[in-house]
Amino acid sequence: MTLELSSVEKIYDMNSVGVHALRGVSFGIDCNEYVAIMGPSGSGKSTLMNIIGCLDVPSSGTYVLDGSDVGSLSEDRLAEIRNEKIGFVFQTFNLLGRSDVFHNVELPLIYAGIRPAARRQLAEEAIFKVGLADRMKHRPNELSGGQRQRVAIARALVNKPSILLADEPTGNLDSNTGAEIMEVFDTLHSEGNTIILVTHEDHIARHAQREIRLFDGEIASDMLQSEAA
Amino acid sequence: MSRIHASAEAFRIAIAALRANTARGVLTTLGIIIGIVAVVTTMTAANGLANNFRESVSVLGTDVLYVSRIPWIFQGRFFQFRNRPNLELKDSDKLARQLGPSAVVNPTDDTRRPVRYLSEVIENATIIGTTDKHMLVSSAVPEYGRFLTAYDVRFKRPVCVLGTTMREQLFGDVDPINKKIKIARGEYRVIGVMEKQGSAGFFGGPDFDSQIFIPVTSFVKEFGSRNRSFAFAVKGPPGTNVTDFEYELVGEMRKIRRLAPNEDDNFAINKMDSLLDAFNNVMGVVLMIGMAVTGISLFVGGVGVMNIMFVSVTERTREIGIRKAIGAKRRAILQQFLFEASMICLVGGAIGVALSFAVATAIDRFVLPASVSLPIVVIALTVSVVVGVISGFIPAWRASRLHPIDALHYE
Repeated sequence: MTLELSSVEKIYDMNSVGVHALRGVSFGIDCNEYVAIMGPSGSGKSTLMNIIGCLDVPSSGTYVLDGSDVGSLSEDRLAEIRNEKIGFVFQTFNLLGRSDVFHNVELPLIYAGIRPAARRQLAEEAIFKVGLADRMKHRPNELSGGQRQRVAIARALVNKPSILLADEPTGNLDSNTGAEIMEVFDTLHSEGNTIILVTHEDHIARHAQREIRLFDGEIASDMLQSEAA
Repeated sequence: MSRIHASAEAFRIAIAALRANTARGVLTTLGIIIGIVAVVTTMTAANGLANNFRESVSVLGTDVLYVSRIPWIFQGRFFQFRNRPNLELKDSDKLARQLGPSAVVNPTDDTRRPVRYLSEVIENATIIGTTDKHMLVSSAVPEYGRFLTAYDVRFKRPVCVLGTTMREQLFGDVDPINKKIKIARGEYRVIGVMEKQGSAGFFGGPDFDSQIFIPVTSFVKEFGSRNRSFAFAVKGPPGTNVTDFEYELVGEMRKIRRLAPNEDDNFAINKMDSLLDAFNNVMGVVLMIGMAVTGISLFVGGVGVMNIMFVSVTERTREIGIRKAIGAKRRAILQQFLFEASMICLVGGAIGVALSFAVATAIDRFVLPASVSLPIVVIALTVSVVVGVISGFIPAWRASRLHPIDALHYE
C-alpha cells in the first residue's frame, strides 16, 4: 500500500465557525494504481488533494504514506516529504517565470541537496522524457500551454516520487493538447508510476483505472472503471 | 550538503531578482549610499587629519619634555595660570646645571616681527630665539649652511637660520648664505637654511618652515626680556625613562621656583603625547558626529530596504508557494530573501564607496592629503551587508512562514 487514509477529517475555522471540508474519508492506494478523484466544486477534493500532497495535515484521522504517518509532522518535515515522495502537476502549471526550462525542472533536486553534475543528468533525463530536449533554455513564456505542462510534469518526475499528483492537469489546455498531456500520463502509468488525477471532467477521469467520487466531504463511490462502465 | 545547494540557489535568485529590478534597487539604497559616503568620507578625512597632524608634531621628539609657564592645553580657568611668575633665561641655566651635563636644556621664545631683504618684506614672520641645543631636541637639520653654535649664542651674534619657506619668499633663487636681512630694526646675517619640515599650519599650529632662528641672547637684546616667559625643551640623559625623568624635572623646577612642599607647581610640563591626546579628543568628537550622520542615514536606508523587501515578498508570494510545494524549507526561503536584501545593500554600499573615492580625491586635492584605505572599504561594505540582513529579516521571516497552500493560491 503506497498510501492509506483512515477516517480523515478536515475542519477549517472560518470566522470562528467550523467548516467540515472532509468528514471521515478512508481509502488506500496501491503502487502503480491510476486513480481519478472526482466531485463537484465544494465536495472537498481540493482539500483531499492538499492532504495527500502533504501541503496540509488532517484535523483528525491518520494518513500513512510509504509506511510512515505523515499526519502530524512539522512544516519542514512535510517539505522534505513533498520533495522526496510527491510530484505535483497543477492546473496553472506553476512554473517559475524568470527561470528557463532546465532550471525549473532542476529545482526540486536543488532543494533535495543533490550535486550539480547529478542534477544536470537527472533533469535532462526528465526533460527528454516529456519531449522537450530542444527547449531546455527557453523560458515558460516562450512555450505553449501544452509544453508548459510538460515542463511541470518533468519537474514532478525528476525526484522519482512515490505519487504523481495532478490537479486538473488539462484545465487550462484546449482539448487536443489536453489529450496529448493525458497520453503522457498514460505512458507514465504504464512505466510503473502511481498517478492520482484530481478532476471534474469525466473524459479525463476515464484515463484512470479507478474512480473515487466525493460529495459533501464524504466518499460517494469508489470503484474500478470496468465496474463503472 | 543540501544547505550549500540551497544557499547557492538563494544567491542565484537574489542576483536574478536584483537584475530584474535594478532601478528600484538602486533608488531604494539611496539612504545606504549616503550613509556609506558619510562613513567613508568621515573616516578618510579623520585619517588624513591624524596623519597630517602626526607628521607635523613628529618634529618635536617624543622623548622631549617642554617646561612652560602655561600649559599648552588646558580647559577654561586661564586666571589660575595668569599670575604665575615667568620662566627666565637664567632659570634655564640653573636647570641645566642641576640636571647635569648629560641632560639637554634648550630655552626658546618666539615673537612676530617684520622681516626684510632688499625690497622683499614679510610682515609677521615668526622669529624664534633659541640655542645650539635646538638640534638636540628636534629632528630639524640644516639643508645647507650651518645651524647656530654655542659661540653665536654666547656672544649674541647677529646671525640667523631660515626655514625653507622663508628662504623662498625672501630670496627666491638667490643664494641666501651671508646675505643680510633686517629683522625688526636689527641686521642679521643668514648662516643656514633648514630642511623642509612640513606644516602643522592647517591646525593653526606652528608652520616649522616659516620660522627664522636667531640666538636666544640676540633675541633678548633685540626684543627685551621683560614680561617674557621662555619655554625650556628638556631631554634627559640617553637611556633614561621619560616618566622617571619627568619626576626629576618637576623636582628641579620646584627648587628653582622655591616652592614649599604644600604649594602647587607654578609651571607646566608638556609632552607631545598631550598634544596628541588633545588632538585625539577633538577627532573623537568629529568621528562621533560623522557616525551619528551615518547612523541616521543607514537607518533611513534600512527602512527603505525593509519596505522594498515587503513589496518583493508580496510580489513573489506565488513563487514562494511553488518553491515550498516542491520542497523548499522555511530556511531556504528565509535565506533567499535575506540574500536579496543584503545584495541590494551591498550594491548601495559599493556605489557609496565609489562616490567616496571621488569625494576623497576632492578632499585630497583641495583640503588635506587623504586617501580611502582598504580597511575602510571593508568596513563600509560589511556595514552595508549587516544593514541588509537586519532590514531584510522581518520580510524574509514573514515569507518563510507563509503557508504553501495560501501562497500558491495568492492572486
